[in-house]
Amino acid sequence: MLTAFARAFKTPDLRKKLLFTLGIMVVFRMGAHIPVPGVNFKAVQACVNASAKSGNGLLGLVNLFSGGALLQITVFALGIMPYITSSIILQLLTVVIPRLDALKKEGQAGQTKITQYTRYLTIALAILQATGIVATASSGALFGSVNCDTSQIVPDQSIFRIATMVITMSAGTVVIMWLGELITDRGIGNGMSILIFTSVAAGFPSSLWAIKVQKGWATFAFVIIMGLAMVALVVFVEQAQRRIPVQYAKRMIGRRAYGGTSTYIPLKVNQAGVIPVIFASSLLYIPGLIVQLSGSTAGWAQWVDSNLVKSDKPLYGGLYFLLIVFFAFFYVAISFNPEEVADNMKKYGGFIPGIRAGRPTAEYLNYVLTRITWPGSLYLGLIAMVPLVALGLFGASQNFPFGGTSILIIVGVGLETVKQIESQLQQRNYEGFLR
Amino acid sequence: MTETVGSTATPDSGNAADEQSETLSRRDRKRANKAAGKDGKKKRGDRPNIFARVALFYRQIIAELRKVVWPSRNDLTTYTTVVVVFVVVIMALVYGLDTGFSSLAKLVFA
Repeated sequence: MLTAFARAFKTPDLRKKLLFTLGIMVVFRMGAHIPVPGVNFKAVQACVNASAKSGNGLLGLVNLFSGGALLQITVFALGIMPYITSSIILQLLTVVIPRLDALKKEGQAGQTKITQYTRYLTIALAILQATGIVATASSGALFGSVNCDTSQIVPDQSIFRIATMVITMSAGTVVIMWLGELITDRGIGNGMSILIFTSVAAGFPSSLWAIKVQKGWATFAFVIIMGLAMVALVVFVEQAQRRIPVQYAKRMIGRRAYGGTSTYIPLKVNQAGVIPVIFASSLLYIPGLIVQLSGSTAGWAQWVDSNLVKSDKPLYGGLYFLLIVFFAFFYVAISFNPEEVADNMKKYGGFIPGIRAGRPTAEYLNYVLTRITWPGSLYLGLIAMVPLVALGLFGASQNFPFGGTSILIIVGVGLETVKQIESQLQQRNYEGFLR
Repeated sequence: MTETVGSTATPDSGNAADEQSETLSRRDRKRANKAAGKDGKKKRGDRPNIFARVALFYRQIIAELRKVVWPSRNDLTTYTTVVVVFVVVIMALVYGLDTGFSSLAKLVFA
């Protein structure tokens, strides 16, 4: 089976794509280590080392998504979060704003326009977030209550310096966005997912090691076994499909018969994939960000700080769960349109046995989809809740490595990418990985 | 209609209705159904209460889940191994890159 990896590299076309993707990943990680001009590298390093010992609430998750680049205040500090957030916002807005909806229905040209808007919004969000981070870094609040010399992080606080830092970080985000799109175009897999996967994977080894150091080998082994079990569970559900049989009518064109085949529409139990988890966690990060930006200590700010920032609070957990369920349905509704599928089937002479073509087919697909998405969305929410359980069980640290969010991202993206490589291999009549 | 009325069996696009009103044309039947629907709303007694509907929905979910093709044990082990190997390879790669770049950064900037 593992020889398939080797075979993937022997296929010239695929090798090119794989190497391209790996190259982009190298560039991505490199940017995560180049400090922004204007920060004192030594002071930042000291603070990062100090904060690694005491978990950091709000920034924990964001730091995870940027692969540790945020706390180091590097060029790629913002990661792809702004891009993800802006694409969520635009997808939400297509439901609300008729003009965007019209653009979406326009097809290719409209889609390009929406992508363009997404990019502009990304830049705006990046500037906003960069300003926030630079402001908190220069005031020393970035590291919270960590015991280190925060006054030295940004030694020269003139307006020119601050502006340079903000511009550099925003430009870094734009570069990341470009890298992601390059992967989607010329590499393997979806660029956005691959980059977030890289960031999450970057944080894994060190947090695993932290568990070993803090709790010893027994807990470490237990965590590894539990992680493997969770990987198996996620794979199990990701692979589960409801197959809706489709029969194609036989057609005679001239003297030859076409069609007459029977296939199926695979409806996954978790049709939405990892997107709901990413959406929900990046949405929940916004209130904390607002509080941090405003720097206010009023009542509401303290309420948000105590209820919506740390993932071990019941309100946060509940909200997270509800958002995941909501986004699961939302994303399925966006990405799978029963009417369109029914229409296409009708056009090519296909039908589901026992169900009329056209509207009844669409209704039937919708019937199955809503019923199958319920367990799917609940599963997503429950998996995302696992860190809370782990927290209660043996007091694991905040950034428990097999947290639901990270494991869903890792396994989901891993599975998707491997399957894409597999299908590319099969195009050339090779046996893939997954016999 | 199929969502609230009926059994857990998959809806057969009004085939059940065919038996009752064979003589009516399709449009007529549709109208009749619509009228019946309106009446049902007014009477309210016709429609099962919320608990019954939730229970039915739940049974329908279970019925659909039974039709799901779950991966076999063999599939599951293959996919899991492949994903774990892939993730470990990428993780090792990224870890290597990170240590390299961070020592490089220390060399250059500190």
